[in-house]
Amino acid sequence: MNMVYGQPYKEMTMGQFKGSAANADLSVALSNDELHILINLVEQLLELLGERNFAHHYQSDDPFAQLMAATIGNLESPIEQPEDPVLRRLLPNGYADPESAAEFRKYTESSLRTVKQKHLLYLREQLVFPVDHELPKADIAVTDPTQWLIAINDLRIALAVRLDIDQDGFEKYELMKDSDPQKHLHAVYYWLGGIQESLINHL
Amino acid sequence: MSSQTQIEETLDLSKFFDNLWVAIVWDDPVNLMNYVTYVFIKLFGFSKEKAHKLMMQVHTEGKAVVASGTREEMERAVQQLHEHGLWATLQRDDHGPV
Repeated sequence: MNMVYGQPYKEMTMGQFKGSAANADLSVALSNDELHILINLVEQLLELLGERNFAHHYQSDDPFAQLMAATIGNLESPIEQPEDPVLRRLLPNGYADPESAAEFRKYTESSLRTVKQKHLLYLREQLVFPVDHELPKADIAVTDPTQWLIAINDLRIALAVRLDIDQDGFEKYELMKDSDPQKHLHAVYYWLGGIQESLINHL
Repeated sequence: MSSQTQIEETLDLSKFFDNLWVAIVWDDPVNLMNYVTYVFIKLFGFSKEKAHKLMMQVHTEGKAVVASGTREEMERAVQQLHEHGLWATLQRDDHGPV
């Protein structure tokens, strides 16, 4: 697990939460740059999760949509583990044994994707409001802290897989040169950890 | 004791053994320690102390059994753990009831 978090990137004001979930007055202040970084990450992950997902058709009331989903989604055949390493981590095997894992995935992967998409869509909605209304600075009233928490966690997982961050990630980050373009992405990762930590402390 | 009763008892016994499935959470370098503790409390209703102890077990030993029950119950638990971004699997319990 990760013990190092919240090393703020120097250009980021560090999204700090105020108030508390218990008092229903939880909010977070984010700069415009921070909003855009977050929205961009959320949209990238939504796009990645959107591949191969037919669950919304299954849940549709329209019989034709259900039939199409059953044909395209082909529930009869096993679903293989995703190829993308981020998806492999976000939608992991439920069993060590490959056969049981495939069977489990057949019945659960679609709804797992849908739940993760739901959290991210909610977060996106919260983040785009101040952007759409051209507010100079966002002070977002957090309506559902749990969805924030899980969505931020999924973003951190996705970034960590892409950046190959391991237990020694923070030491490596500190040794990176400022001119290294990767350093900014690592900074975003640790900044997200700080946001998550701050959120947990205000639940 | 009639043979019928004996058969029924045997059936009950097999049902008992079928119950022994466990959900295991594996360590990963991303999830924050207090996030993992939070998830354990939320999903399993553990006390803060118990959740913290299990989280530390995952952290130091690489894994921990966090729940036991029927296969269906453990599949649901693993699904919920995956929903929260934790790395979890289920398997038959090798060591008796938790």
